[in-house]
Amino acid sequence: MSLALQILVTGLAAGGVYGLIAVGHSLVYRLTGIVHLAYGDLVGLGMFTTLFVAAGTGPVTQQTAGGARFLIALVVGLVVCVAAGTGSYLYAVQPYVQRGSTIGWVAAIVAIAFAVRSILSAVFDKPGYVFPDPLPFRDIGRSGFVTVAGASLQVRSFFVIAVALALAAVAGFTLDRTRFGRGLQAIAADEEGARIVGVPVDTLVAVAFGLAGGLAALAAIVAAPSGSVTAATGAVLGLKGLVAALVVRFGSPLRAMLAGLALGVAESTIANAHLGSLELGPAYREVIPLALVLLLVAVRPQLEALEGEE
Amino acid sequence: MTALAQTRSALGDAARDARTAWSRWHTLGAAVVALAALVPAFAPAWVHVDSMAAAFYRALAATGLLLAVGLAGMPSLGQGAFMAIGAFAVALLTARAGWPLAPAIVVAVAAAACAGVVTGIGVVRLRPVFVAATTWILTWVVVIFLLAFPSVSGGAQGIVTPPVLSVNAHYELALALLVVSVLATAALTRGRVGLELRAVRARPSAAAALGVPSARRRLGAFVGSAAVAGLAGGLSVTLAGVADATEYGPYRSFALFVAVLIGGAASALGPTVGVVALAVVTGAGGVLAGLEGVESARFNPMLASLLLLTVLALGGEGIVPAVRRYLPLAGPAGRAAAAEPRASPADGGGAVLAARGLSKRFGSVVAADDVSVTLRSGELCALVGPNGSGKTTVLRLLAGTMEPDAGVILLDGSALDDVGQRGRALRGVVRTLQTTSPLSGLTALENAAVGAGLHSRDGGAFRTLLATPRARREHARLQAAARGSLLDVGLEWAADQPADRLAGPEQRLVALAAALATRPRALLLDEPSAGASVSDVQRLATLLARLRADGVALLLVEHNLRLVRAVADRVLVLAAGRVIAEGSADEVAANDAVRAAYLGRQAL
Repeated sequence: MSLALQILVTGLAAGGVYGLIAVGHSLVYRLTGIVHLAYGDLVGLGMFTTLFVAAGTGPVTQQTAGGARFLIALVVGLVVCVAAGTGSYLYAVQPYVQRGSTIGWVAAIVAIAFAVRSILSAVFDKPGYVFPDPLPFRDIGRSGFVTVAGASLQVRSFFVIAVALALAAVAGFTLDRTRFGRGLQAIAADEEGARIVGVPVDTLVAVAFGLAGGLAALAAIVAAPSGSVTAATGAVLGLKGLVAALVVRFGSPLRAMLAGLALGVAESTIANAHLGSLELGPAYREVIPLALVLLLVAVRPQLEALEGEE
Repeated sequence: MTALAQTRSALGDAARDARTAWSRWHTLGAAVVALAALVPAFAPAWVHVDSMAAAFYRALAATGLLLAVGLAGMPSLGQGAFMAIGAFAVALLTARAGWPLAPAIVVAVAAAACAGVVTGIGVVRLRPVFVAATTWILTWVVVIFLLAFPSVSGGAQGIVTPPVLSVNAHYELALALLVVSVLATAALTRGRVGLELRAVRARPSAAAALGVPSARRRLGAFVGSAAVAGLAGGLSVTLAGVADATEYGPYRSFALFVAVLIGGAASALGPTVGVVALAVVTGAGGVLAGLEGVESARFNPMLASLLLLTVLALGGEGIVPAVRRYLPLAGPAGRAAAAEPRASPADGGGAVLAARGLSKRFGSVVAADDVSVTLRSGELCALVGPNGSGKTTVLRLLAGTMEPDAGVILLDGSALDDVGQRGRALRGVVRTLQTTSPLSGLTALENAAVGAGLHSRDGGAFRTLLATPRARREHARLQAAARGSLLDVGLEWAADQPADRLAGPEQRLVALAAALATRPRALLLDEPSAGASVSDVQRLATLLARLRADGVALLLVEHNLRLVRAVADRVLVLAAGRVIAEGSADEVAANDAVRAAYLGRQAL
């Protein structure tokens, strides 16, 4: 029982981050019909920009970081991600989508992903980095852990889950209830129609890509302190967010978040699973869910069928 | 004529064709290959034969990727995964199980091809954006799996493979395989299968309407590209002497994709040029970084990205096509095949295609409601009605583009329930699309040749690759038949022009020529006269009359009532999905229900 609770909370905390990224993927796909293959690297960009401003390229510890400089670093990370989000749209997506060249934007956006990642790995070349926690969770309980019903739970996990759900709710509210959000919905449903009735399509989509970039930065800040990070951390998170978004067919923010949470719980369950004599263990944690999603696409390809349009 | 004499004459034909098509560029290419083959024997010490061999294997994998990306238009980011499968299959079999190289390579190619089939079955039916997304996930899954299971992948050390071939032997083998793969890709591109793949890439629905088996063709290209990657991966691992999981990660997939794009996805030579360009740029980067004492490999992704972004910014067509535009690379044009008159369907009179009680709903909209229609050989039936009355839906149901909710369709009295669009096209039921639908990127003649290839069996991928006499005869026959169809619609002058550069009405005629080239027994035409001038309509009427005289059963959806009146034997009037009148043009025009529902003040 206590193990189950532990698995659930750990899984939800990891899944909350996947969910945030899935929300970003869904937003981008529904607006432009593209899959943002560099989205994970925006998350990585957020992590390492913040680290860079907070402490240069040297090692950081929980103790050395803090105060005003770290706060500034967080803001800079956010701003850079917003700019990178908008920039990736203007430079890598819009020109090719306009031309109807799928191969063009796929190439441009993956090129951006690798450019970002190789800069990060060139500047931050140690095997792993510690990202300081913006909030002092380690001071709560026994150095950040509390015991509930026999399970030892990280206090941070609850914070991550709460932030993730709150951001997904905000994203959902923005889409459904604000003028900006309804404009985006109109673009997603019928871009030409939206243009004709006077929705400033290009501006709104650029702003939405910026917001998606901001979401990536928030996901980075929420996720990074949970473990050691490298230049590839963001890309892997982006991949899992993409998988979650694919499962719910790039649906609403709430659905994307739920898919992310489910993926997180599935991973932590697999990592700790004892199915009779079969003991899976951490090695299977990432492979099985990803392989299952690929299988899902193979079995149910009508998901996003090619034919039908004339 | 004996078999020997036949073979000899076929070989003579092939030699003559090769001589006519030969140009100084072919001489140059042959000289370059010959010089390259001599490199290991004469190269000075600073030439790294092993790096060159490794680059050739990468070029082999990239040429394989061209099948998926360039020919089928599937932006695959999974080529590194298929290389990894081939590499680890060979590493495990030779190092752990002690197999000799040759059978291990066979297993590696088979394993990569199987992985290609499993992924491909889903992927080929997806839009390009999801092809990119799923193959991207595949690349990550394979590398995550290898890193998570050191027992399989050998962990950080990798699996050390026994040396089987010398470096020079690897070099010559890699060069030979590369040359073969480039020539084979060029042959495939020109052949029927390549033509059909380009048609599917240009316009899936239009290709399907001509009976092209889209999913099967794309799966073939995808599996072929995976198999070539398996071969390249398996061989490159024995060259490197160690199988390292990180070598085949997302970056490998990306770098191969980059190589195809910067070299030029429209050319068989493109991927090789792309790999060389990438190697030159990263090599130069390595030299510069060496001066600064920096480890250079970590900048390779950066350089590849910059190179790709530059090529995209310059228009994205790649190096080889760009060079081709500035140099007169084309050899003397091949002999143009003489037009062959279209064979009439061997059938006289009687019902060909009959539909009973067809119904189709889309949500709450009733697009077809209990529609019955009979098409007879040598008769032209027109289907008219206001916009949105369900005319195109009836055409789609008849052609098998979609399934009816209720009703039955009979061809020569046997039901077509389980026969799809391709099956119906093969049996002679073909339709054209309502929108102008030439296959962009193909010439008018190639458009027609796609249709002419419907009944072709001898021009398949393998026969084309081996250039068998049958495949060559078939190719000539298709060209002649396609020319004949263009002649029928009066567009023989436009044969070699890109179809999408023609005027709108002419584009419709190209689509009609492609449909005619399938030798249909029942031809379903969706507004063939839209946008046409008076004289064009006149010519269309003449063509329809001739088809009718040839015994084709025709169904014509048309808004031009003057044309309908001129050519139709029978007119069906559709309103809100129901047939409200049927009869001769005059009878229908006199019908009060028709006047009320459709014609209003206008007289027929």
